[in-house]
Amino acid sequence: MSDGGILRKVDKVIRKKRFENIDVKVEDSVVYLNGKVSSWDDFVEIGSLIGAIKNIRGVVNRLEYPGEIRRERKKGNREKSGEADVVIIGGGVTGCSIARELSKYKVKVILVEKEDDVACGATKANNAMVHSGIGEKVGTLKQKLCVKGHFMYGELAKELNVPFKRCGMLIILTKDSLSKLKIPQFLANFIAKRIIPFIVVRRGKKIGIPIKLVDREELMEKERYVTERALAAVSSPSYGVICPYFFTIALAENATDNGVEFMLDTEVVDVTVENDGVKSVVTTKGTIDTRFVINAAGLYADEVAEMAGAREYTIHPKKGATLLFDKELGNYINRSMSLLRFPRAEHYKGGGIMVTVDSNIQWGPTIAECPEKEDTSVTAEDIEKIFESYTPLLPDFPKKSVITYFAGIRASTFTEDFFIEASKKVKGFIHVAGIQSPGLAAAPAVADMVVDILKNEGLTLKQRESFNPYRDKTTIFRDLDIKEKKRLIEKNPRYGKIMCRCEQVTEGEIVDAIHSKLPALSVDAIKRRTRAGMGRCQGGFCLPHVVEILSRETGIPIEKIQKNGKGSNLFVGKAKCLLGDKHDGN
Amino acid sequence: MWGKQNAYWVTNMMETDVTVIGGGPAGLAAALKASENAQVILLERGRELGGILPQCIHQGFGNFVFKKMLTGPEFSQYFIDKVRQSDIVVKTETTVLEIDKNKRIIATNSAEGILEIQTKAIVLSMGCRERTRSQILVPGTRPAGVYTAGTSQRLINIDGIMPGKKFVILGSGDVGLIMARRFILEGGEVEGVYEIMPQPGGLTRNIVQCLDDYNIPLFLSHTVTDIVGRKRVEGVTVAKVDESMKPLVGTERFIPCDCLVLAVGLIPENELSKQIGLDMDGRTDGPVVDERMETSVSGIFACGNVVHVHDLVDDVAVVAEIAGEHAAKYVRENLERRGKIRTVAGENVGYVVPQFLRGKELDSVTLYFRVLSEKRGATVIISCGEKTIFERKEKIVKPPEMVKVILSREVLNALVQNELRVDVRGGK
Repeated sequence: MSDGGILRKVDKVIRKKRFENIDVKVEDSVVYLNGKVSSWDDFVEIGSLIGAIKNIRGVVNRLEYPGEIRRERKKGNREKSGEADVVIIGGGVTGCSIARELSKYKVKVILVEKEDDVACGATKANNAMVHSGIGEKVGTLKQKLCVKGHFMYGELAKELNVPFKRCGMLIILTKDSLSKLKIPQFLANFIAKRIIPFIVVRRGKKIGIPIKLVDREELMEKERYVTERALAAVSSPSYGVICPYFFTIALAENATDNGVEFMLDTEVVDVTVENDGVKSVVTTKGTIDTRFVINAAGLYADEVAEMAGAREYTIHPKKGATLLFDKELGNYINRSMSLLRFPRAEHYKGGGIMVTVDSNIQWGPTIAECPEKEDTSVTAEDIEKIFESYTPLLPDFPKKSVITYFAGIRASTFTEDFFIEASKKVKGFIHVAGIQSPGLAAAPAVADMVVDILKNEGLTLKQRESFNPYRDKTTIFRDLDIKEKKRLIEKNPRYGKIMCRCEQVTEGEIVDAIHSKLPALSVDAIKRRTRAGMGRCQGGFCLPHVVEILSRETGIPIEKIQKNGKGSNLFVGKAKCLLGDKHDGN
Repeated sequence: MWGKQNAYWVTNMMETDVTVIGGGPAGLAAALKASENAQVILLERGRELGGILPQCIHQGFGNFVFKKMLTGPEFSQYFIDKVRQSDIVVKTETTVLEIDKNKRIIATNSAEGILEIQTKAIVLSMGCRERTRSQILVPGTRPAGVYTAGTSQRLINIDGIMPGKKFVILGSGDVGLIMARRFILEGGEVEGVYEIMPQPGGLTRNIVQCLDDYNIPLFLSHTVTDIVGRKRVEGVTVAKVDESMKPLVGTERFIPCDCLVLAVGLIPENELSKQIGLDMDGRTDGPVVDERMETSVSGIFACGNVVHVHDLVDDVAVVAEIAGEHAAKYVRENLERRGKIRTVAGENVGYVVPQFLRGKELDSVTLYFRVLSEKRGATVIISCGEKTIFERKEKIVKPPEMVKVILSREVLNALVQNELRVDVRGGK
């Protein structure tokens, strides 16, 4: 469709909804909105309505609304600190997958990440599913990359020595699946049992993934706690589960091994352009000269694109909250499961009850528009909503065994699809934006795609013979048998000292994490690598020990140890520090 | 047939009569008593013996056992010294990995690697852990500055680090009350203690000595409804709750602070008990025991907070000695397990320990129980069938304060039915 055609459609939507004072511009199938609306809800509504129009590549929503939070851009360091062929902005699973893929070639790559560790955004707070693609709209970019990416996980996980399981997913149809339609129950049952499963199977065939019908008997036999109201199910056996942050850290470590430089705690403040091409990336830790920038900045992808003058989308954050349960319930279900409801909400697979590689069952995630990009709070309503949504699947689940909950923020664009392409405005600026679910599953395929884009854009990529695809296995004490444990402790007695009793993490593993290729220098970074503090006591016992070891190994004074980077100091000082000079602690 | 058995010859194999797991007050007292008549190994995962007591530097221990007010370290040191003088084999920084029904224990430490202990009897005394913020579903973010009361106590008293400047305390359990005072003494500011229940969770003496004496307000029927702060706590929202403990809209108040401390209950640490397959009591979260503290597996005993959470360490020491004594006795002669009288929690009673009475060795048996709601002038009635065998008028009973009733051997011998019912009737 021509830009003129798009403009007419956009105008129609705006008129229909009676929005006023909105200035619309269309360029290269991207819609730019300027003006004012009366609330955040309007801002989202108008963006989403326009985003749903066919053939639109992007919506740049610059509409102002009351209460808008404007972030001040930090002052950068304009002094040159280095140069690279490619700079990747963002150390989530997407950025790290790209980094690891590029490390196969003879190019200098620097990845910059604003947090103190990789995997700190949506990557660490999703439901860990390597989706098969069955839940995605057929023909979207995310559907294609999801299907391709999820098949790549088996080998990747082996190379990187990361636990990965094709756990399978059950999409369950119950007597309530069609309750929204308000049709007679017998008809709803018939459709749920005899029609929908076949539609799902056909769809699986169409996109190239295996899907199996599961009848009620088989379902009840294999998953004995599933609701009595279940009628049938379809299974997507290639669904996988992986620990998303562990996987991302492994990608980063392997990339480091193969020459990629990681700059953590480094925020990008500007992308400079010369002769319509990328010139440099200005960060809080110096300026990196480069011809190619990969914008994998997640929630901040629109702001980074803006810096380069290449903005073609607006990110509207969507929160997803998840509950995590005690390991002792690990065998309650064998496969992940979701309840199919028809019709379902737009752009939301509905969440479900998920298995993890560490035996903690997860319930969630929810979905809600969220005006603040960093608002990872979980509200009482979120928790209630989760219980309400998934209890119908497993009515007797012991819900009091929650060990923690968290929220991640989806970096969605208004077109609700991945936005992966070279900028038409600025040469060398590659958008990898709008990565929301199934971003984890798609990550390996996204990395492949980005490499192709870079080649098309003129970057010479020659294979590096010395590329080592394998990452050494980290020592995980609890997974070893007794003989191996004994040998390990003989070699290094620190593996005989258990620091985190809930997860059986030894001092040796904590020291390993601190001195790993991507050193863990905060308590949460150690937690993500070792699981110390992830058990039922949530760090109550091991925190003082972890802090002591971290201080000893790094020389950081105990009172300066952080939970997760700048501003997260765990303590205010030594005891007596608040008593003034009279009591100096002696 | 190799496989798992194969592993054993590579480990450091030991044999003993009694193995005590956990070197807190319960484990120390049990080990000491058992060592009078048996060979004992004591395993402790921490660096020091004493469990939680070394960090409890306030007074209030030993009133019953030593007839004087001691601090936690003083109380535990008495037992530690005695243990050190005895021939008990003590292994600290040693964590038990697994135990099977044949009483084979696999443990690990730095010096010996993997240890295998074949023991004749076991005393479980792993204590308890604190309920966390997530278990009571406090909404909000997950910043630095949210601690359980016990962790904050350890940080200050053992590690010498100050966890915050301005505190809000959620829950009025004893450790929370003690810490409210401690924060003040350390120069901190305590905005208040918030308790979701209409009555305090801790002992009255702690309310008086730790809050009233320091002008720290206690807000009953209040809870925290939000934790705010991205990297470090910036404040919390508190609100009043209705009878069903739901926050009341319109009563929210935001309190700027940098630290939220939770004293919202303790949970017996029974991962090992569950792994062995002991029968558990859903009300205490501990293993079911008889009056000799023997669990559902013969020769495996349990005592202290692993069985149910106690108010006073003095009570722990008493039952621990019973456990230790009978563990040693079991090694020599086995214990009578035939007769089985069930104790039943009746009106206004949350639970009763021991859950069974089985033997005839003890001259008297103490029943420990908690009431569900506070009553003045109520009567404790213990009955067997139609017959009341014990009756006592109580000035006041409340959930945080454990009730004890001692039944003599004569009374017990006269029982005709196999069920003992405990009721707390009447009162206001």
